Amino acid sequence: MEPEKIHVIWLSGQACTGCTVSFLNATHPSVVDILTGFIPQAAGITLDYHQTIMLPWGEEALKAVEAAERGELDPFVLVVEGAVPDEDKAGEGYWCAIGEEEGKPVTFSERLKRLAERAAAVVAAGTCSSFGGIPHGKPNPTGAKGVMDFLGKGWKSKLGIPVVNIPGCPVHGEHLAEVLAHAVLAVRGYLPLPELDEMHRPTYIFGHTAHENCPRCGLFADGKNSHAFGEPYCMGLLGCKGPISHCDVPKRGFVEGVGGCTAIGAICIGCTEPEFPDEPYGPFLKKAPAGFFVMEKIHSIGGSLDAVWSRIKEKFAGRKL
Amino acid sequence: MVKKEVMIEPMTRLEGHLGIHAVADLEKGVYVDAHSFVVMFRGFEIILKGREPADAIWITQRICGVCPTPHAMASVQAVDMAYQAPPPPMGVLLRNFLHGAEQLYDAALGCLVLEGPDYSEAAVKKWNPDWWEKARKAKAPNAKLHGYKTIADIMRALNPLSGELWLRSLAVEKLGRKMASLLGGKHPHVVSMVPGGVAKTLTPTDLEQYAAMLAHHVAFAKEFIPVMDDLLDFVLSLGYDECGSRKVNLLSYGAYDDPEAYTANYEDMSNWGLKRAVSPGVVIDGELVTQDLIEINVGVREFIDRSYYEDWAGPSIAEDPAGNPLDAKHPWNKETKPKPGPYKAWDSKYSWAGSPRWEDWKKRVDGFAHSVEAGPIARMWVTAKAGNIPESTGSSLKFTLPKATVAGYKVADEMEFEWKIPERVNTVERVRARAYYYAYSAYVMYNQLLQALEMVKAGKAEVWRKYKKPKDGMGVGMTEAMRGALAHWVVMKGQRIQNYQVITPSGWNAGPRLSDADLGPYEDAIVGTPITEPTEGELSGIDVVRTIRSFDPCLACCVHLYQGDRCIREIPIC
Repeated sequence: MEPEKIHVIWLSGQACTGCTVSFLNATHPSVVDILTGFIPQAAGITLDYHQTIMLPWGEEALKAVEAAERGELDPFVLVVEGAVPDEDKAGEGYWCAIGEEEGKPVTFSERLKRLAERAAAVVAAGTCSSFGGIPHGKPNPTGAKGVMDFLGKGWKSKLGIPVVNIPGCPVHGEHLAEVLAHAVLAVRGYLPLPELDEMHRPTYIFGHTAHENCPRCGLFADGKNSHAFGEPYCMGLLGCKGPISHCDVPKRGFVEGVGGCTAIGAICIGCTEPEFPDEPYGPFLKKAPAGFFVMEKIHSIGGSLDAVWSRIKEKFAGRKL
Repeated sequence: MVKKEVMIEPMTRLEGHLGIHAVADLEKGVYVDAHSFVVMFRGFEIILKGREPADAIWITQRICGVCPTPHAMASVQAVDMAYQAPPPPMGVLLRNFLHGAEQLYDAALGCLVLEGPDYSEAAVKKWNPDWWEKARKAKAPNAKLHGYKTIADIMRALNPLSGELWLRSLAVEKLGRKMASLLGGKHPHVVSMVPGGVAKTLTPTDLEQYAAMLAHHVAFAKEFIPVMDDLLDFVLSLGYDECGSRKVNLLSYGAYDDPEAYTANYEDMSNWGLKRAVSPGVVIDGELVTQDLIEINVGVREFIDRSYYEDWAGPSIAEDPAGNPLDAKHPWNKETKPKPGPYKAWDSKYSWAGSPRWEDWKKRVDGFAHSVEAGPIARMWVTAKAGNIPESTGSSLKFTLPKATVAGYKVADEMEFEWKIPERVNTVERVRARAYYYAYSAYVMYNQLLQALEMVKAGKAEVWRKYKKPKDGMGVGMTEAMRGALAHWVVMKGQRIQNYQVITPSGWNAGPRLSDADLGPYEDAIVGTPITEPTEGELSGIDVVRTIRSFDPCLACCVHLYQGDRCIREIPIC
């Protein structure tokens, strides 16, 4: 069976290329796995444009972008890395350009607008393209924002799919590889589309906080806090923002299971969040707001009561009181 | 003169997107002019203003996702200095391990995935078909070590997505980032660098895990370096030594601190700089003029004559903490005032990159600020010449990689390497230096790992020291990214950032000219480069691409070619 092709256009704006490098960290499946397609149901993905890791060596590169802009490349998924600057703020110049037409630079935001109209789906890889990230840090000198804000929150692709955000600075390579592989199976009817939360993030990845996913969370519940870097307990007193950040990296690790910010003894800086790098995430070494812990304690007491009651109620039940 | 313009944009790199405009003289078969321009701006120095200085350690890594850890290193050292927070020796070593892990990934990426394809079967058959015929007949002198019988076999192994070396390199690179994740939580953008040391709970198996992954790199180096030597010697034998050649003006800040010497104190910087495993130094016209990090720092200038920025008022800081005079153009005095301007205005401002120069301020020979080149060739050159360490012979750098038995690699036995200072700095020698820097980094990491184990045995496993943050302060962090000298400067007032400045290696290399007699290194290296491809018909610019890549502009690029106003071809390069 020869699967129908699904094209991918990867466009970089105000980016550092960290998301591309991180994508190369993905292992099962790896980038090579995705592109070579071992099982037919997931095969047929072609990376038609990517400045760093594109398949063809030849003349076809920017031509693929132009073909996609004209609607001649169909269907294609647009992956965006980097924030979108506000070119209206650049006066007679420009903030970010990709190629030129008739001697004038074509801005990244212009390319994005043209491609979004034709794309089957738009995936924002990393915090910059999801929410603006570092470039939109105060005072946001270039008016940078995420793709969802740029296109409008209610925007949907021609197939009716909203912008899918996979935040993380950089995006976790496996998050991106999994979502892309999942999307292919969904487009072909094998799986439902991934469920998204109100910030358009896949809930299976971003449904819990870094704190909930942290291997040190149990130590925190047991009252053990680190007071100096190097200690093996909860990092909350040293600035960790795990309780207010949505991320599974502490549990998952970063490259083939190795690493994980809080797991190794560092702090979570909230790099997946819309406000990053501003308050309440920066200053990074400042303790997270205490409010969260009050709610957690209330829940914790409820959980402890439940744990005790669920044990003794059976005894009571046995005695038929 | 029959002129042809070659337009290469975007040639993405460091803070995003780079373009090259080159002019070829077809009669003489040589490139006669070039402009390097950066077409993206994000405003890090503006975003950092008013934040807590330590935040810069995390934020500045996002300048470049390909080489984030050196940014963390430069930043944490600048903040160490401003906070007066020296780390304990184990903290210094763990930082070095993070830094070294990244260099191991980045050197392999540069040589085999980004630059390698320029010499692959696919490229050579297309642009230099006469090379291909010779390569098929040329026996590879090191075939016994790496297994490729002819140069053509090596070229085939460099084909993107199918070549054996290209694919193996991806795995080796991932292993480098995995080593960084082990101690840094993740990579890109490590999270464990903090003022006063490292935020890492050292577990009993961390060093062994790191060593086990390092063994792969040691084993790979024993094939990788012989492969590169064979390939590059072959390319040189075809008369490629003029390509990308420029005068020997080099800058190295040095790297891999001695854990017992590093104090984070500015006045001591000359001392701990000299104890680095990679030596600091400036080379002007082939002469090593200084090895003193303080002298090097004070001589740094950044000009914006041809860049999209406005000038700033005179010096606000007259002296460095050691009492040396600070120029108005020194980064501690610089202010970032962006002003977007028109595209391709070659006679005026045309780039988002500034033009850094180094002034020999102590001797003040002519007051001329030199355009110096950064990169592994600068590090290797200075370290080999300086004689600061036993491996440095004055004309070469000689070291032995230990035995490493790892499945899937051809050579287990120990192997001696010698990098000799080349007669010229050109496209080929830049790439060769990058490969040897991979082997040298593996060597330094191995020795420092043994040192770390001894420290653990002696009970010196403390990774971080508490500090009291002062109200005001200033700091500089000078280190090396894969692609060259990288420094951060911070001025702290009331515990907040008053000024933060970064000069990246690609700033040194890709910066625009100050005048037609004072080109930036990229521009300078292209001018005089002979055209090796057939000149009838369309010009691909392959020699320009190879030259720019030899500086390791991080990313692959998309090459647009123009003849007059007409776009004739666009080429993506993996």
